[in-house]
Order: sequence, then C-alpha cells, then structure tokens
Amino acid sequence: MKRRTVLQGIGAALAAPRIAAAQAARVLKFIPQSDLTVLDPIWTTAYVTRNHGFMVFDTLFGSDGSFKASPQMAAGMTVESDGRLVRITLRDGLKWHDGEKVLARDCAASIKRWGARDSFGQTVMAVTDELSAPDDKTIQFRLKKPFALLADALGKSSSNFAAMMPERLALTDPFKQITEMVGSGPYKFKADERNVGHLVVYECNAAYVPSPTGTASWTAGPKIANFDRVEWHVIPDPSTAAAALQGGEMDWWETPTGDLLPTLRKAGITVAIQDPTGLIGCMRFNQLQPPFDNPAIRRAIIGAISQEDFNLTIAGDDPAMSRTGVGVFTPGTPLASDVGLEPLIGKRDYDKVKRDLAAAGYKGEKVVFLAPTDLAVLKMQGDIAGDALKRAGLNVEVQAMDWGSVVGRRTNKGPIDKGGWNVACTFWTGGDHLTPAGHTFMRGTGEAGGNWGWPSSTVLEDLRTQWFDAPGLAAQQKLAQAMQRQVMQDVPYVPLGQVLQATAFRKNITGVPNGFAMFWNVRKG
Amino acid sequence: MFAYIIRRVIATIPVVAIVALFIFSLLYFAPGDPAAIIAGDQATPADVERIRASLGLDRPFVVRFFEWSWQVVQGNLGVSIFTNLPVSKMIAQRIEPSLSLMLLTLTFAISVAVPLGVLAAWKHGTWIDRLVMMFAVFFFSVPVFVVGYLLAYTFALQLDWFPVQGYTPFSISDPWPWLRNLVLPAAALGGAFVALIARITRATMLEVLSQDYIRTARAKGVSQRPILFMHALKNAAVPIVTIIGIGFAGLIGGAVVTESVFAIPGVGRLVVDAILRRDYPIIQGVVLMLSFTYVLVNLCVDLLYTLFDPRIRY
Repeated sequence: MKRRTVLQGIGAALAAPRIAAAQAARVLKFIPQSDLTVLDPIWTTAYVTRNHGFMVFDTLFGSDGSFKASPQMAAGMTVESDGRLVRITLRDGLKWHDGEKVLARDCAASIKRWGARDSFGQTVMAVTDELSAPDDKTIQFRLKKPFALLADALGKSSSNFAAMMPERLALTDPFKQITEMVGSGPYKFKADERNVGHLVVYECNAAYVPSPTGTASWTAGPKIANFDRVEWHVIPDPSTAAAALQGGEMDWWETPTGDLLPTLRKAGITVAIQDPTGLIGCMRFNQLQPPFDNPAIRRAIIGAISQEDFNLTIAGDDPAMSRTGVGVFTPGTPLASDVGLEPLIGKRDYDKVKRDLAAAGYKGEKVVFLAPTDLAVLKMQGDIAGDALKRAGLNVEVQAMDWGSVVGRRTNKGPIDKGGWNVACTFWTGGDHLTPAGHTFMRGTGEAGGNWGWPSSTVLEDLRTQWFDAPGLAAQQKLAQAMQRQVMQDVPYVPLGQVLQATAFRKNITGVPNGFAMFWNVRKG
Repeated sequence: MFAYIIRRVIATIPVVAIVALFIFSLLYFAPGDPAAIIAGDQATPADVERIRASLGLDRPFVVRFFEWSWQVVQGNLGVSIFTNLPVSKMIAQRIEPSLSLMLLTLTFAISVAVPLGVLAAWKHGTWIDRLVMMFAVFFFSVPVFVVGYLLAYTFALQLDWFPVQGYTPFSISDPWPWLRNLVLPAAALGGAFVALIARITRATMLEVLSQDYIRTARAKGVSQRPILFMHALKNAAVPIVTIIGIGFAGLIGGAVVTESVFAIPGVGRLVVDAILRRDYPIIQGVVLMLSFTYVLVNLCVDLLYTLFDPRIRY
C-alpha cells in the first residue's frame, strides 16, 4: 500500500464525522400533523395539504404577520379605469420545477381553477368579467366593479390558497386531483420517494428565485430554502413522536399534544407558539330540523357554552395556550372585537338556560349530537359540548363515531329518524376566521349554500357583501362588529374558544417562521 | 399430496370471492363519504356530488362491484381515492416491513415459547413451571402498546440501544439497520404470542408426557432430552402448529398497533388509515390480500401436520 493512500484514508476517517454532521445539517426531519394523502391544494381543504402546497407551489402574493398582502411571484400590480382594470406583472426568472418558464397564462388558468373551489376565489371570480394573459408577463383582470381585496385574495394563506401551477395542470377539472406536482415553490416534491402514511420527501429547488423585496414573514417576503432535503416522517402516535424528537431522530414536530409539552421542555426541546391564530372551536346546528330551526333556541344555547371549559380540557391550565371571549373573528387580528359577545362571557347559569329554552318553545325533543372519537382534540371538544347541552336540559343523544362518519353524516339534511343530526362541533384554524372572506361558518346562504348546518341569514349575507366593498379598515371593522352582533342573533354557530397550538423543535433548529409549518428560512446546526 | 395442494388452492377462490363480496358490501353500506372528506367544509352539495361522480362513487352497487371484481381478476386492485396511486403499488411498499415484522416476531416467539413450554411441562408443579406460567399470563394480559412503550422508553430513550421508530429496508450487505429497527417491535408484538404458544406447548406436552409410550421410553432408560425433544415434542407439535397458524390472524391485528407505536410503514397501518378516511379501494385490496394470505397460511399448517404426524394423509 502506498503511503499517500494510507494518509488519504486517515484524513478521510478523521473528516468523516464533520462531513456527516454537515450532511445532516442539510436534511430536516419533520413530523407533520397528519398523513399527507392528498397532494392537490385546490382539490381539498386539508391543512396538511396546504402546508405541502406552500412547499411546492408559490403564490402571486404573500400574506405577512399583520395579514397584509405583498408581492411574491408578482413584481407589481397596477389598477386603472376606476379600479375596474387590474394588471399583475410577473417577476423575472420564475421557472416551474420542470424547467419551463412561468407564464402569465399559467397563472390565469391557476386562478380560474382556484376560483372554482375557494370561497374567496369564488368572490373574486364573481366580480371578474374577464381574466386573461395579454402577454407572457401580465395577468389582467377586467372587473365588474372595483375590488380592493384582490391581492389579499390571491395571497390568502389558508385553505384553499391560490397555488400557481403550469397551465397544463391548471386546466384539470377543479373537482379532480392533479396528477403531477409541478410548481415553482422553494422545494420540489420527490414523487419517487413518496410512501403514503410514512414518508414524504422534498428537495431544494435550486432554480428558485426568492422575492427581492419585503421582510420574510408568514408567506410573504424572501423564501430561502436552506435544506437540500426536507423529510416528512408520519408518526401517528404522539408518545412515539415525542420520543423520536427527544432522541434526536427527528428535528421538528409540528403539533405536539398538550400533555407532552412539559416532558419536551424538560428534555431541552424548544416549545413555541408560532401561529397566534390557533384553532377556533365551533358548535354548529342543523337549522333545517327542529329544535334548532328556532333561532330563540339557538340563542338560549349560547348561555350553556363555557369557553373556559373547552379550553381547560383541550389546552390545559396554561393561560398562554388558549383564549376565551372569542367571537366571530380571530382574537388579536384587525377585525376582532368583543361587541355583542355578552351572552358568551361571564358565569354560566344553567337554570336560566333551561328557562330560556322553555320560553323559546323547546319541548324535550331528542337532539342528536355527533361526537367524533378517533381524533383526540375533537373527542375532548365533543365530550364538553355534549355535557354542556345536557346541563342545559336538552334531551341529548350523543352518537359516538369516527371522524369520517361524522363528515359523511353531517351532509344529511333530513330528520334524525332518517339518519340526520342536530348538533356537531369542529375546529377551524384562526387563519380561516380572519375576515368574512374565508369565514365559512358565518355565512347565511341557507339550504342552497354549501355549509353543513345550512343557516339562512340575508342580513349576514348583505353585511358580507358590504364588507367586500368597504373603503378601508375602519369601515371594515364597523361592518365586522355588525356581523358579530348579527351572528349572536341568528346563531349560525357558537364559538367555543381559541386554542393555541405549540410546535416543538430541537435546540439546533432556528428561524422557524411564524404561522403554520413553513420550511423556508429555517436553519439547522 | 400435490393434488391436495391444487384442490386447496382452488378452494381459496370461493373463499376470497365471498370475502370480496362481504367487504365490498360492508363498505358500501357503512356510513361515511370520502367525497365529503375531500371537499371540506366550504363545499356545496353540488361540489361534493361532482367529486363523488368524478370518483365513480355515484354509480349503483352492482355496477361498482362487478367493475372492481373484473379489475381484481385482471390483477388490478384499483386506485386509491385520496392518493391517486395504484393500490397494488401502495400494498407493495408496505409488504416488506409487515413481512419482516411478522417473520421476526414468529421467529422470536417460537424460539422462546416452545423451550419455555417444554421446560414448564418437564418441571410441572415446580417454581419453574409457575414462573413460566406467570410470565405467560402477564404477557398475555398486558396490551401490546404498553409493552411497546415500556420497551421504547427503556431500550431506545434511556439506553439508546435501538431507535424509537421507523423502518430500514433489508439489505444483505448490511442487515443490522433493518434488524435494529425491528428488535423492539418484534419483542413487543411477540410477548403475547410467546405466552400463547408457551401455554399450549406446556398443556400439550403434559398430555403427551403422561402417555404410555413415554413411560415405556423412560423404563427402557432413554434419557430426558431425547424423551422431551424427540418423542414428546414431535407428537405435541400438531396443536402447537395449529395455534401458530391461528395466531397468525392475531399477529395481523397486533401488527396494526405495533406498527403505529413504532411508526413502521406496514400493511396494518395502511388499512387502518384507509378505513378512517374511507379509502375504499385500499381497504378492499388489503383485506382481500390478507384473507388470501390467511388461507395460504392455514394450508401450510395443514401440510405441516403431515411432517409431524405420519398418520395424517391427504
């Protein structure tokens, strides 16, 4: 053996740990909130798909921490003809993951696909006379009337967000899933390594050109991909996920359960609340069937709801992890207020609720409550809600079932003897309740509308329409207060409090952005 | 024998067909709607209906069943509603981890349980017998996930001997990572199986050891080891093999829990996830495959009888 070979071997052996550490620093191992089954962020509203979508697809506008839109793929936007002609120009150097240039017609087709599914998108398309691409870099909206929220709509960060994709994919029926993951986002999806229910892999998009302007915040500003590879490891069991994080097998766990937070902190894991909008619990009534077709009965039920009870059960006694006094809009955001929330606040008086129910005409009819059992947070929410309804004196039949059954069952508009239902609860992210644009549960579109429970309120719908046309924040806030008062009258749903979700990552992970799980600007090492 | 095997294999066809019809009917009439799950809360009834139509879920039962059956006959298990991936591909991804876990569990269970059962029978009534039976009752009573958590806490988190979770595919050049990932799950899953086999082995051995021919062997001066392992165990093997075969079904059920606790991407987790989101093609494909496998395992058990008991002829 030559001396030089021996020396090279020794050198390589000495350098190996540092090389391995450097390589490990370029791989991020992440435990997502749930399995990623659907990849198309337009086809489903699942939050895990939204998070995946922001890895792969970029948006024309981003949304920052103060929920203001700022250009992302867009270089700029001009508004002419009294607000009826809007032109959005694309930045230079944008490329799809397959190497093709991003063209305006790709984006126009993407907006149309999004506009067919998303409620904010549908509003945009309803005020749009023509959406076109007069050249490769310009997207042009001819509007029926001025629409000041266009950039906000195109930059919304909650599901479904306006994901830009090549025209050949964007022309897919919005009710069918696209078959390829070709976007222009900071990471590329590795289809060949996908193992559903176990592993999802992304690799750095070397051709990505980050936005040259703005400050990185939520989905706005420069998105810098610092990892060669991001691996999502699906670990269904919370205890196992916690152990994997403690043992260094994983770097970041998106949604640790509340009971494990003290253990994680004790083990030196960083536990942080990155998303101040959290989750907002909602109780929904089937308003097509008695007794909740009677608004006085729905109003009486508000008196039985203790947001403290829900928060304590779900988030524990740490006051930093939940908020009460939650109304229609996400606490701490521009439209939130406590106007009209008096029935939700203060000590609960169940005798009064019983009297109110009797006065409203409740005669002891059976009330079917759909209670999911397979998702821990929803199970806890169901337990408290069922108990509150019973304490209110309702003749409640709690029907326990898995979440899939609840989702199927609640589409049934019929009476309970024909498989119908009366009450069900769920969570929305606070990001969905920022404004009336994406706030599905305050809609009053009735039986023709898509919202299970089918509440009907022309007043709420009128206020919502006015809100889109409001000239500024002050006017929007005034209308938001009117909407909140009306929600407490019509009771399309009852807010059950806000729970903040912690995220947990190892000490060597830095730069985790505020908001939901996003992977740009994160570093390891 | 060959004719018997052929007959048994052919007999699996109606069994699998009945299972197929049963599982298809069960899923058809079960509550839940994948289209509603996909569409989300904002969707209108018309949106849900369009998704349902695009997935072919709006067609009559008979049409869907015969279409699916025809696909299956052609070797096509369909496409997952949610992932858009072929079910056969998804099952293929999961077969290796599940098979690895089951084989390792079986190897561990048999190699521990049979000697323990023989030992307990040999030392019948002594403290050794009681200790073995106590062990068996304990592992039979404690749920798999509790054993799993205890093992993970001790050997992964505290001692750092094994990883907490995950799976590494088998490699001939370096099987250690594969084995390292499976030791704790196999031990957790194998605990109850060891208890079951050890109890059956002990009971059967006790019965055999009281037979006249054993007494004769002892009278002729045959030593203890040949009596136990050559004369008694071979004759006690038929019930033991039977219980191993029956236990295979339990192993499939237990594997679902073990795969979740140790985050192993096996068939068990695949089917549970599919059930929760109503991904019918996956559920149908996996149940069909498992029922076929179960029938084959029982066939193997029946064939093994002839090895242990020459009086059995097919």
